[in-house]
Amino acid sequence: MTITCERIDDLLFEGDAASLELAETHARGCLACREKLDDWNDISRTAKSMQTTWPSDTLWPRIQRAIANETRSRAPMILRVAAALAVTIGLAGILAYALHLHHEKQKAFDQAILRVTALDEVERAEKAHLIAINNLEKLAAPKLEEPQTPILVSYKEKLMLLDDAIAECQTNIDHNRQNAQVRKQLLSMYSEKQRTLQDVLREGNHVSNP
Amino acid sequence: MQAVATLTRPVNRPEISPAAEFELLFRTHGERMKSIAYNHLGSVSEAEDAVQETFLKIHRASDTYNGESSFSTWAYRILINTCYDILRKRRRRGDEESIDANPIERTASTVDDAKRIMLRRLLESLPEQRRTVFTLFEIDGLSHAEIAETLGITEANSKWILFSTKKQLQEQWRKSQ
Ligand SMILES: [Zn+2]
Repeated sequence: MTITCERIDDLLFEGDAASLELAETHARGCLACREKLDDWNDISRTAKSMQTTWPSDTLWPRIQRAIANETRSRAPMILRVAAALAVTIGLAGILAYALHLHHEKQKAFDQAILRVTALDEVERAEKAHLIAINNLEKLAAPKLEEPQTPILVSYKEKLMLLDDAIAECQTNIDHNRQNAQVRKQLLSMYSEKQRTLQDVLREGNHVSNP
Repeated sequence: MQAVATLTRPVNRPEISPAAEFELLFRTHGERMKSIAYNHLGSVSEAEDAVQETFLKIHRASDTYNGESSFSTWAYRILINTCYDILRKRRRRGDEESIDANPIERTASTVDDAKRIMLRRLLESLPEQRRTVFTLFEIDGLSHAEIAETLGITEANSKWILFSTKKQLQEQWRKSQ
């Protein structure tokens, strides 16, 4: 088969042994394609030589320790969030009210999610939460740095737990961006965080303006 | 380096404990993961941190792994996202990309270090996806099917990205020598 210079790129695109052999045959009689093919092969050869390995006997023990530490320090997420909520709110009545609100929100959210099926819209909602949270975090930072009251201490703990839960959720989303259930969880955690930060700011005002 | 084992799920051997299973995953995929991380980050210590972080993330999310993709490509995807996070943090801090001076064993080759350094510099200037496709195919030996699954793109797209990236590198190759 006669190969023209124009076909060289097609052969390089295919990239299999047979195509590269055809390109090689043409390049033997064509200086311009010879140069091109030499560079092409040189890049591949250099790349292959960059496959890297080094002894790292301590890496697996390190990973094992990190996993063990994390497993020890992590009660099941739901218990931790529940504990934080219980500590924060304290009163069963308020908890029931919160659950009712949550249920209502959940219903509203479920309806909303039916309408908002496009992933980019969910992402826009996440971004809006993040902007609000960033602003609130800036405002709440001085109060949370050295919490002055027990309730601020519990809010701080709750926010830390929420941050852990959010990170865990984001890991799951990295794995599957289309998972509506996880994205829904993330959005509700963002809402919870936003609400908690607002509570912190209100609490801060009680402290400074009794 | 070992071939990519395509486990259908991370824990699929009832006769061994989950801890032993996890270690087996590290033994099977760890070397290639270290190489992928190194070729994104250019630093041995950061590459090891990225692999450790990836195994922690895998451990946290292992009960949500749905077996839709092979375990190896799932792990590589988490690893690459972890590397991107490290690179973004580095850029935000205004740090230079690092190229480790640590002694590293490479596969036997007659290619000189100057060429490797030049290629690494050229790769650093590429957009993330191009750099990743090139690295996974040309350096770490993944197939287009594996790259497609890892990055959530089509095989044809992977092939096209590799070709156009190599064309771009080819134009700069001779000038840079
Ligand atoms: Zn020609």
